[in-house]
Amino acid sequence: MWFFRSNKKRNAEPEGDGPAFWKDYLRLFRTPLPAQTPIQEVPFVVFDTETTGVDPAKDRILSIGAVRVRNWQIDISGSLECTIARHDSNTSPAVVIHGILPKERPNDLEEREALEKFVLMIGNSVLVGHHVGFDIAVINQALKPLTGSGLKNKRVDTGALSKRVNPVSGPVYPAGPLSLDDLCKQYRIRPSDRHTAAGDAFITATLFLKLLSRLRNRGVHNLGDLLRRR
Amino acid sequence: MIRMANTISTRIHDFLKDYPPFSLLDPHQLAELSASVTVQYCRPNEVIFRQGEKPEQRIFVVREGAVQMVRQEDDREILVEQCDEGDVFGIRPLINEDNYALTAKAVEETLLYVVSVEKYQETWNANPKIAYYLASSFAEGLRRNYDTHFKNRLFLDQDRYIDGHFHLVEVQSLEYSKAPVTCSSRIPIQIAAGLMAREEVSSIVVVDEKQHPIGIITDKDLRRKVATGLVPIHQPVEQIMAHPVVTSKKEMTVADAQMDMVKHRIHHLVMTEDGTPDTPVVGVISEHDLLVVQGNNPAVMIREIRRSRKAAELKNIRQQAESLLQKYLYQEVSISYISSVMTEINDALITQVIRLCEETMEEEAVKPPGVPYCWLTLGSEGREEQLLRTDQDSALLFGDVPEEEYPAAKAYFLTLAGRVSTMLNECGFDYCPGDMMASNAKWCLSLSEWKEQFGKWIFEPVPEAILHCEIFFDFRPVYGDTSLAAALTDHIFESVGRQTIFLSFLAKAALQNPAPLTFFRGFVVERSGEHKDEFDIKARAMMPLADAARVLILSARVGRINNTIKRFEKLAELEPSNAELFQQAADSYGILMRYRALQGIRNHNSGRYFNPSELSKMERINLRNSFQPIQELQSLLNMRYQLAYMR
Repeated sequence: MWFFRSNKKRNAEPEGDGPAFWKDYLRLFRTPLPAQTPIQEVPFVVFDTETTGVDPAKDRILSIGAVRVRNWQIDISGSLECTIARHDSNTSPAVVIHGILPKERPNDLEEREALEKFVLMIGNSVLVGHHVGFDIAVINQALKPLTGSGLKNKRVDTGALSKRVNPVSGPVYPAGPLSLDDLCKQYRIRPSDRHTAAGDAFITATLFLKLLSRLRNRGVHNLGDLLRRR
Repeated sequence: MIRMANTISTRIHDFLKDYPPFSLLDPHQLAELSASVTVQYCRPNEVIFRQGEKPEQRIFVVREGAVQMVRQEDDREILVEQCDEGDVFGIRPLINEDNYALTAKAVEETLLYVVSVEKYQETWNANPKIAYYLASSFAEGLRRNYDTHFKNRLFLDQDRYIDGHFHLVEVQSLEYSKAPVTCSSRIPIQIAAGLMAREEVSSIVVVDEKQHPIGIITDKDLRRKVATGLVPIHQPVEQIMAHPVVTSKKEMTVADAQMDMVKHRIHHLVMTEDGTPDTPVVGVISEHDLLVVQGNNPAVMIREIRRSRKAAELKNIRQQAESLLQKYLYQEVSISYISSVMTEINDALITQVIRLCEETMEEEAVKPPGVPYCWLTLGSEGREEQLLRTDQDSALLFGDVPEEEYPAAKAYFLTLAGRVSTMLNECGFDYCPGDMMASNAKWCLSLSEWKEQFGKWIFEPVPEAILHCEIFFDFRPVYGDTSLAAALTDHIFESVGRQTIFLSFLAKAALQNPAPLTFFRGFVVERSGEHKDEFDIKARAMMPLADAARVLILSARVGRINNTIKRFEKLAELEPSNAELFQQAADSYGILMRYRALQGIRNHNSGRYFNPSELSKMERINLRNSFQPIQELQSLLNMRYQLAYMR
């Protein structure tokens, strides 16, 4: 009994506060996705964010793009693409790159709304992104004031996957991240709509499928195989 | 899900709007349809749907890659059509047909747009343009027919296979001598010999009264048993005849005849009515007859080359070799066999030319320096891949001499190389435009000079050095003291081992080749110059493979395998995890070699450039498929040598 109670308490804590959508979201994680789930049955959400900079602690989200991937298919109708209204006039260099001006636009969502839609969409899917750690960090940073905690989803980084597909051997160079552009070139993916969150999410989804297929040839058949660190 | 914007579906819309039937839709409907598309990933050979399956309410558009429509007939697969980017397939649900009549299979890694059509069926059928498109493309799909059994042959027009002019000699029917010379078993040896001499034959068949063969006497029997005094010449022929006789049918091929001779260790075959000794003799065939029939035989050609004394004769034989090549290509003889035969012929020719030049210099009393040398071929001939006479790439390597003797030695070898190069040119091998020939003082060096030269390339890999490496690293000794070449090879491996960064430079250079395909899978053609709008198969498709093979085999420290196909095969053996890719690369290279040689023969040139618009659809598809491994190999190089960090 003691054990049960302590457990409940720990679970209850993050559920205590936060809006209803967050409580619903957290509930989804009571039963985690089994490691034996075959790859084709795993719900993935491939996403990308555009931000005002590269510091998750300081910079803000400009837009989010996300697509669902399941059973070797990218579902376009279930995709999410939203830009977030900015109420300040702080124009950072990133704004120039992404072409999203701080001017308010009629279709913009408030950050809170966008996050809610995103959380609703992802549910307990496995999150996939290129250097996904950063995107999750900025989302968490934005979520915290709202929900008191961050995303609980399992995650897969396509940057790390690409190294698993093509392990590096040979002469030594400083290891560093591989850019999405480099990988697009290698896997012959059209880099259209680069630097829009939705465009990058779609490109990353294509890359993810190509990498996943190569890993399948090397014995990655279920979620556990995929998440296993090598 | 609410979408605030629609970057992705706009992109899909932009793609679909160019292809029927989507190009025929009204903009609103197309936009709506684009937003509901599913993108499906297919791995190579994945079946998308099967013949006989019930279709769902959806059709497919190839976004990237290729899909083959195949009809299953008994245990055969008939390739009906190949769908490329923009092609729509699986439209049965739209025309209310029952089950799929064909199987759809991805040929390569493929992305499909899956379009759900449930909502549109009625409106589409009501639109006369769309209805017409659907009906006609449906009919067309059934009409075309390619046989997958000829998968590797699809470079050629179908009717060429039926063309009977290109039978391999080995399967040609034999023309045996119609009137065999025969005698009875009791006539004296002397009489039989006289008969043979008069008829100018090398054998006589000993027969009974019904003309059934009972033995055979050949020149060899007369030589060994009679001329040696073993059997007196007035004895009956049965004393010396070989019996029983090996007989065969009169309908036989050269290959059959050769097999029989080898099997029984004999040089003459007696042919009878039904192939047994119990029917009358109809002919005799000798080993010599076989050689005559095989005038177009590589072994005979090589022998002829060794007998030739003049450039014109050699040129002539090389010309014959070209028709042999053509025959082999049309007969789909394996490319490794073809290239080894052509390499043998080229090597024999080069060797003969060098010998002749050496002799001429001797006659002119030019004294050779007392030091061994070795003639090296470079580039494609070095890789044993020169099918057509392209240009001569060569180098000369001579043993180290004391300093005071160096000038004389060098002068001698330069003169020799100059003559060899001139004579090769007379035989139809163009001079190397980059002057990478032994006749160039830079490439006619002693062993220590060559070691120094390679050392320089390896330790100071400036771009120009890398360019040289691509040609010189494929050197192969064809004449002279091969131990010199072996010493050089050892030195190179030793140096590369101490300077691993060199391999990264080489790998990086291997990635510099221009890509064969545009993003939209069109062939990249030359923008300007003599070959404007033509495709450069050498630079864009073959060199990337040859270069990759070279770097990888050097990394694997495997020497003395120069041939690109053999290098990939060796790599496949050494690296099981990438075996499939390497095997694919080997196959691709073979296809590209074959294709280039065919183009060269057709157009009487090197075959390097051709206009992609003149290719048939199947040729285009085949070529494009052969580019597949290039991309993957380049990613492998990129990753293995971490070239993304090397700027």
